[in-house]
Amino acid sequence: MEAAAAAVPAPSPPPSAAAAPGSAELVCAEGRNLKAVLCQRCGSRVLLPGAATFTRRELLLPAMRKKAAAAAGGGSGDVVREHWLVRDMFSFENVGFTRDVGNVKFLVCADCEAGPIGWHCLDDKDSFYVALERVAHE
Amino acid sequence: MEPGSGLPQRRVGGGGLDLGAGSPALSGGQSRRRKQPPRPADFKLQVIIIGSRGVGKTSLMERFTDDTFCEACKSTVGVDFKIKTVELRGKKIRLQIWDTAGQERFNSITSAYYRSAKGIILVYDITKKETFDDLPKWMKMIDKYASEDAELLLVGNKLDCEVDREITRQQGEKFAQQITGMRFCEASAKDNFNVDEIFLKLVDDILKKMPLDVIRNELSNSILSLQPEPEIPPELPPPRPHVRCC
Repeated sequence: MEAAAAAVPAPSPPPSAAAAPGSAELVCAEGRNLKAVLCQRCGSRVLLPGAATFTRRELLLPAMRKKAAAAAGGGSGDVVREHWLVRDMFSFENVGFTRDVGNVKFLVCADCEAGPIGWHCLDDKDSFYVALERVAHE
Repeated sequence: MEPGSGLPQRRVGGGGLDLGAGSPALSGGQSRRRKQPPRPADFKLQVIIIGSRGVGKTSLMERFTDDTFCEACKSTVGVDFKIKTVELRGKKIRLQIWDTAGQERFNSITSAYYRSAKGIILVYDITKKETFDDLPKWMKMIDKYASEDAELLLVGNKLDCEVDREITRQQGEKFAQQITGMRFCEASAKDNFNVDEIFLKLVDDILKKMPLDVIRNELSNSILSLQPEPEIPPELPPPRPHVRCC
């Protein structure tokens, strides 16, 4: 948690206050994910419960459905604010990393490659963001 | 020299590589609400997939545990590598699978890929003789750069295109037999025939070979970093003995 506070510009306050309606029930008292994180499309398991920390940060993710948007690497997409922050790449159960788009790699489902579901900047090798609104929780 | 020892070392969080890691037979519920992350992986292994252009390397990576095979939802940017988790012999193993598509020229794949790989899957296309004829060139790269104890698996892909077959199963077997410790199989990434088995077999072979202390001490350093690597490593490992050369 200390590391998270140092690296993220706006560390999340206690989730009860920070989480938007809907995400409160997904976050435990320590700020971790209560439920497993799954691919919305194929159900592939991305994170086990407790593997990530809730955080807020404005990130631009290319739209999930438009291939052209993904190719543009951020020309169009959605600003997403709520994320699961993962500190070690090997905390993921299953995930895919795209080739570099600038200094960013996007995260996709390891099985069906739906995405991007998340964001990783090569300048910060210990931070992997998974957008809450782009995954399912179980 | 240890494989990958020249690479930046990853921070190992949460006692990542301690076998067992104090979480015996985790059955879910209990540890979920604690601060500790869930049971970490017991092993982390890097696997690379190499072979000439068009043999289906990317498809092999996708088809592992994938039952969709959907072109439509693929990111146009392309996937660089994947983290996949498998359970084998009661151990939880994280695979980092690198697909080298787009770097098919023999000398263009960074030697760092080879050096840190515990498993190497060499793929050819049973319907394209030239991809089979290329195998000795790939073996030269393996001999030059890969760790000597890396597990090798030769895969004849596109078994679904049997009518166009140019390379017999016996030819593939014969090639693999000439190389110490190399396994062989044919597969179809399109039909998912043998694909899961390929990875599981390879992982099993890797685990069987490893004493536990090696696993603990070495694997944390064997993972390829995301940071760009220099094309030419500062120090090349000595060439492998020629036992594998055909």
